[in-house]
Amino acid sequence: MNSVIYFRDVSFKYSNSEQFALKDINLNINKGEFVLITGPSGCGKSTLCRIINGLIPHFYGGTLTGEAIVLGYDVSRTPTYVLARYVGMVFQNPENQLFLSSVEKELAFGLENLSIPKPEIEKRVQEVAQLMNIETLLDKAPYELSGGQQQKVAIASVLVMYPKILVLDEPTSNLDPRSAMEIIDLIFRLNKKFGITVIIIEHRLELVLEKTTRLIFINKGRIIYDGDPRKILKKEDIDELEFYLPKSVKLYRDLKRIGIELPDVPLSPSELATVLRGELKRRRLLK
Amino acid sequence: MSTSLLRGFVYKRKSSVLHRLDPRTKAIILISAVALIFTSVKVSFLLLLLFVSMFLAYVGRVLREWLHSLKSVFLFSIFIFVMNYLTVYNDKLLYSLLMALRFILLTSFFSIFFLTTNPDDFAQALLKVGVPYEYTLTFTMAIRFVPTLARDIQLIIDSQRSRGLELEKGNIITKVKNYIPILIPLMILEIRRSIMIAEALEARAFGAVRKRTFYRELHLSRIDIIIMTCTLVTVALILLLKPQWF
Ligand SMILES: Nc1ncnc2c1ncn2[C@@H]1O[C@H](COP(=O)(O)OP(=O)(O)O)[C@@H](O)[C@H]1O
Ligand SMILES: [Mg+2]
Repeated sequence: MNSVIYFRDVSFKYSNSEQFALKDINLNINKGEFVLITGPSGCGKSTLCRIINGLIPHFYGGTLTGEAIVLGYDVSRTPTYVLARYVGMVFQNPENQLFLSSVEKELAFGLENLSIPKPEIEKRVQEVAQLMNIETLLDKAPYELSGGQQQKVAIASVLVMYPKILVLDEPTSNLDPRSAMEIIDLIFRLNKKFGITVIIIEHRLELVLEKTTRLIFINKGRIIYDGDPRKILKKEDIDELEFYLPKSVKLYRDLKRIGIELPDVPLSPSELATVLRGELKRRRLLK
Repeated sequence: MSTSLLRGFVYKRKSSVLHRLDPRTKAIILISAVALIFTSVKVSFLLLLLFVSMFLAYVGRVLREWLHSLKSVFLFSIFIFVMNYLTVYNDKLLYSLLMALRFILLTSFFSIFFLTTNPDDFAQALLKVGVPYEYTLTFTMAIRFVPTLARDIQLIIDSQRSRGLELEKGNIITKVKNYIPILIPLMILEIRRSIMIAEALEARAFGAVRKRTFYRELHLSRIDIIIMTCTLVTVALILLLKPQWF
C-alpha cells in the first residue's frame, strides 16, 4: 500500500471551543507526494498538522471523530513519541523548537530520546549536518544563529530520526525571501532525493507552487480544493483561493478573462516565460 | 543594578584550564573554599583566599567579570561591616571585618564558578550526581530562554510605550501599577511560548523511553582527579590540624 496518510470523515473540536476546527476531512496522501496546504488564518491548517503527528488528541484535548491513519498507525491510539519517529514536524517559529545550548545537542536530542546507541547518533548527526550544510554551526548556540539557519537546524533536528513524512507548518513565515527560498529548495531536494513525503503549509504560494504535485485549499475547517494545482487554477471560480495566487497565475487568469487563453497555467514567472514563448511561436509572431 | 550584577555571574564561553575542568571538580573547589571561608578566624588567611580566587579568575580568563561582581557587591559588604560593628560587643573590629570579607569571598568564588562553567555542563553534572533528566533539562532550558525573555520584555515595553504608557511616572504604588500592562501581555506571551516549546518537545520524541541515551557525557580527566584530590587533602589537613595562621 502506498498511502501514508489516510483520513476518513475526520472532524475535530478543541475542548475549550464551540466550533469545529476541522470538519469532515477526507484525505489520502501517497508516499513521496509534495503537498502544499494553504488557506486563511484560523482555517485549521495547524490543526491538521497536529493530527498527523498525534499532538491531537494526545497533547491538545478535544473530540476527534472519524478515522485518522498515519503509516498504518491509528493516531488516536498512538502516542506522539511513537509517531515522532516517522513524522518530522517543523513549526513556524524556529526559536521555540530549539531549546538546547548547541546545534549538535539539538540534532542529537531526538535520537537520545529514542535511546539510539551513541555511535549511531554520532553517524547520523554528522550525516544530516552535512546534508543540510550546517557542519560549521555544530558548536554554535542556536539562538546565536540567523532565522534561516535556525530553521535549517530545526529541520535537521527531525531529519536525524529518518522520518518518512515531513510536516512543515509555515516554515518560512519568519524568514527573509532569500532564506525562505533556500529552505524551500532544501525541502524539495529532500523530497526528490529520499522520497520523503512532504506536507508544507505556506501562504506565499509563489515560493512552492511550481514544485508541488498537489494543492489543498482549506477554508473554515473544510477542504475546498484538493488536487493538481494546474487543474484547480484553470477553474473559472476558485473562491477565496483567488487572493493567494502568484502574479503569473493571476496574469494567466486575467488574460483568459479577456479572451486570450494560454495552453497551460504558468505556476512561476519562468514558466510564464516558457508558455508565452510557445504561444507566440504557435501564433507565428516569433521564430 | 540587577543586570549588572548578573554580568559577574553569567557564563563566558572562553578557552581556559578552568573552563575545561569538570564542573564536579570546580564544585569541590567551591565547597572547599566555602568550608574554609566559614571556619577561618584570621583576616590574613581570608585575604590569602581572596588572593587565591584572584589567581583562579586570572587562570580562568575572567578577571574583568570577576572584578565586576566584586565591585557590585562592595557597597553591600560595607553595609554588612557596619551592621556587625553596631550590633556586636566583643572584638567588634575583627568580627565585622571577618563577616564582610566572608561575604566578598563567597561572591568571589561563586562568581568564578558560574563564569567558567557552561550551564549545560553544570546540568550534566547534576545528572551525574543523580538529579533526574526532566529537572536538568528544565534548568538548561530556563537558562537558554533568558535572552528570549529579555527580548520579549523589551518588545512589550516598547510597544506599550508607543501607546502612551509612562513607566517612570508617579509614586511607588503608581509605578508598580504601571507595570501591569507589561506583565499581563508578557504572561500570555510566555504561556503561549511554553505551549509551543512543549509541542516541539513532544514532536522530538521526548519521554519516548525510560532510559534515554546520553550522547555527550562528562568524564573526569586525570587532571580533574589530581586537582580534586589535592584540594580535598589540603582542606582536610587545614581543618584537622587547625594551624596558627588559620
Ligand atoms: N489550542 C487551541 N484551543 C482552542 N482553539 C484553538 C486552538 N488552536 C487553534 N484553535 C482554533 O481552531 C481553529 C483553527 O486553528 P489553526 O489550526 O491554528 O488555524 P491555522 O493554522 O489555519 O491558522 C481556529 O478557529 C482557532 O481559533
Ligand atoms: Mg497555523
